[in-house]
Amino acid sequence: MADLNIKKGHNIRITGVPSDEVQIGLKPKTVAIQPTDFRTLRPKILVKEGDTVKIGYPLFHCKSQSNIFFPSPGGGIVTSIQFGPRRVVEKIIIELSETEESDCHDSFHAAEIPTLRKEQILSALLKGNLIPFIRQRPFNKVINPMDTPRDIFISGWNTAPLSVNLDVSLRRRLPQFQAGINVLKKLTTGAVHLSINENTVSNTLLEVDGAEVHTINGPHPAGNVGIQIHHFSPLGLNDLIWTVNAQDVVRIGTFFLTGKYDPTLFVTTGGPGIKKPTHFKTRMGVQLSDLLSEKLNEGKQRIISGDVLTGKTVGKNGHLGFYDSTISVIPEGGDREFLGMLKPGSSSTRYSLTNAFTGFGKMLFSFNTLQNGSERYMVPINAWEDVLPMDILPNALFRAIHVEDIEEMEQLGILECDEEDFALCSFACPSKIDVGKTIRHGLELMEKDG
Amino acid sequence: MIKFLRKILDANAHRFENNGVLEKLYPLYEAADTILFSTGEVTKSGPHIRDSIDIKRVMILVVIALIPLYIFGAMNVGVQNGIAMGVERTNWEQFWYGFDKIIPIIIIAFITGAFWEILFAVVRRHPISEGFLVTCALIPLVMPASIPLWQVSIATSFGIVIGKEIFGGVGMNIFNPALVARAFLFFTYPGRISGDKVWVIGPDGYSGATALAVPAAEVNQHAVSLLNGVTQFDYSWWNMLVGWIPGSIGETSKLLIIMGAIFLAITKIANWRVMAGSLIGLGVTAYLSNLMAPFSSNTMLSLPAHYHLVMGGFLFGMAFMATEPVTGCHTNQGRWVYGILFGILTVIVRAINPAYPEGTMLAILLLNAFAPLIDWFVIQSNIKRRVARHAQ
Repeated sequence: MADLNIKKGHNIRITGVPSDEVQIGLKPKTVAIQPTDFRTLRPKILVKEGDTVKIGYPLFHCKSQSNIFFPSPGGGIVTSIQFGPRRVVEKIIIELSETEESDCHDSFHAAEIPTLRKEQILSALLKGNLIPFIRQRPFNKVINPMDTPRDIFISGWNTAPLSVNLDVSLRRRLPQFQAGINVLKKLTTGAVHLSINENTVSNTLLEVDGAEVHTINGPHPAGNVGIQIHHFSPLGLNDLIWTVNAQDVVRIGTFFLTGKYDPTLFVTTGGPGIKKPTHFKTRMGVQLSDLLSEKLNEGKQRIISGDVLTGKTVGKNGHLGFYDSTISVIPEGGDREFLGMLKPGSSSTRYSLTNAFTGFGKMLFSFNTLQNGSERYMVPINAWEDVLPMDILPNALFRAIHVEDIEEMEQLGILECDEEDFALCSFACPSKIDVGKTIRHGLELMEKDG
Repeated sequence: MIKFLRKILDANAHRFENNGVLEKLYPLYEAADTILFSTGEVTKSGPHIRDSIDIKRVMILVVIALIPLYIFGAMNVGVQNGIAMGVERTNWEQFWYGFDKIIPIIIIAFITGAFWEILFAVVRRHPISEGFLVTCALIPLVMPASIPLWQVSIATSFGIVIGKEIFGGVGMNIFNPALVARAFLFFTYPGRISGDKVWVIGPDGYSGATALAVPAAEVNQHAVSLLNGVTQFDYSWWNMLVGWIPGSIGETSKLLIIMGAIFLAITKIANWRVMAGSLIGLGVTAYLSNLMAPFSSNTMLSLPAHYHLVMGGFLFGMAFMATEPVTGCHTNQGRWVYGILFGILTVIVRAINPAYPEGTMLAILLLNAFAPLIDWFVIQSNIKRRVARHAQ
């Protein structure tokens, strides 16, 4: 019996589920970091085209907090800095050299870490440019290292469609993971919470010491850290909670044990648009074409960095986002069905959380990017509530954000929300409303106001 | 044939798009295009994949749930006319007689509804909303078959314009447009939609009291024995469940309504909480009224719950109108309260108010007005819960 059984939510039965087998990715030609992956960040670029950088070398810093640097995912030459509209820096691309070098910092023995003081830990994290891996709730943005969080949350279970199986990616990583947990423990006055699935077989997750472990069960978004915070230790008005992805805990641990920034990342490639979906051991900011070559199905495909619910369309030559570890490929568009709204459909032609189509099977479904309807005003048939496992009234919150009523938004719990937790609401919405976008808008308003 | 249609639509698209000759009529083109073919729109960002349900599907399923009621309604109009005229007909003849009477009502309701919807879509530049299909499908079902067509037309106009469009269209309306249409007729032309003379198409002056009017008209009697004593119609419980009784076109067959309600609840289009709440509210209130019956001369108080259920428009209102998602409560707890209050109010209006033997319509309209208030309480309790959690 798990500590928490989530009832509401839904595991989307999409085809192209990655197998647990891990392929070792070839060394990519280029890697990139995209400053637009960090919310509300205004970067100050520290390199120029043609510069030579080492792995972990700072590429830019935050204009408002000049002590937070963002690490280079590779060693080599900065080949291009791409700008978007209004001179926003979109991407810094690094061509990897044959022999990559790493920035070296102090290393510690595993036994030494628990004896370090908080200041030592923080200064090591700042020097190693690892701060960007830690994000805060509310607002889900990079932390301010001067803050002290009430708790730190780590999700040891991915439930998003086609996402990395952490049992696979954390295999034989116990020492590093343990070191990471020990480091994080020093940063909070509260506890380091680790949520794991009831059925996990990972020794790393089961044997790790010093974290407050919760077991959870249930459909997506049960694995989202926002949902776990809501149930285990809800955010109060003035609370601050930090979150770290499980793979990044390993990265932080590795840094303390070796003094080097380790850009290794396990990713999945999956979705109906791809042949042989699988796990890859590759690295941060990899160019997607390196992993997808020869594997795409015929026809026009949409290539997404991130999962199908919250990812960003990047195209084949795009690079993996900073916090992403899923690459999803789905066919672009689809046929326009004659009198589609009258057809009963079936589990193999129509997929729905309602039973408005016949067929209640458990078959996997080959999704495409069709919206299956046009945007309409809200008709509240409970589609949102059924997939949101939080004590939050999505409908009322949506309306409060829509009229920009800051006080009511706060009362209704906007600070506990993040758009990723509402992505399923948009998926299920019959009016095709992008709920997550509105939540993001609400959070931006709150941030401006506060 | 299908490819040919697609070709015509694609070839003419440019005329309706920006700077085309018929730009103003784009909502009309869009509606035709997306009714015939599922939309080709693709997701732009956010969730890249979407559920197959859309508002068109939601609305069309409600209409599908109503179709059996139309067929039964046509049949019943013929049967009741046959009884009134004292003629023997075959089943087909009964059906065609009723079909002939109700088809003009349906056509008028849809033409009027479509006219206003398109007009507002063009002027207000919003897409044609599928919601009018349900409104126009509901309006004929809550009218007696003897209703004059011009009244259907102005009632539909009132329902769509005042009940819906002035608020901004589907999703913004406060009152159920189909009920607004009926209430409009009820208060402006009561002679054609209430009383004993309108429910059956028969010879001039033919009087056929609905089942609810029977106990409402007498004092100091027992309702069930009164009903069983009616010889003109078969007002036994079973027959009222099946529906061969006088009434509005779509409300008589409780059996088909129950099937429709189950269908909508399974497809998750109508919320089962509202329906369950209504049944509880009706049952408890009717039971309490039965307890009071010995102390009062009011015969209606003695009507048992299972008779309340199969008489009048309660089940129809419960299945297709109280569950309307936009005008009802938007929170799950609110839906329970809303449903229970609907059941209670229906019995109270029926039993206590001598002027109106039927309370369904007024109960729903009143609750439409109160739904935001009920939701407000639910929202406040959610806020209080959050504050209390932080205080710990």
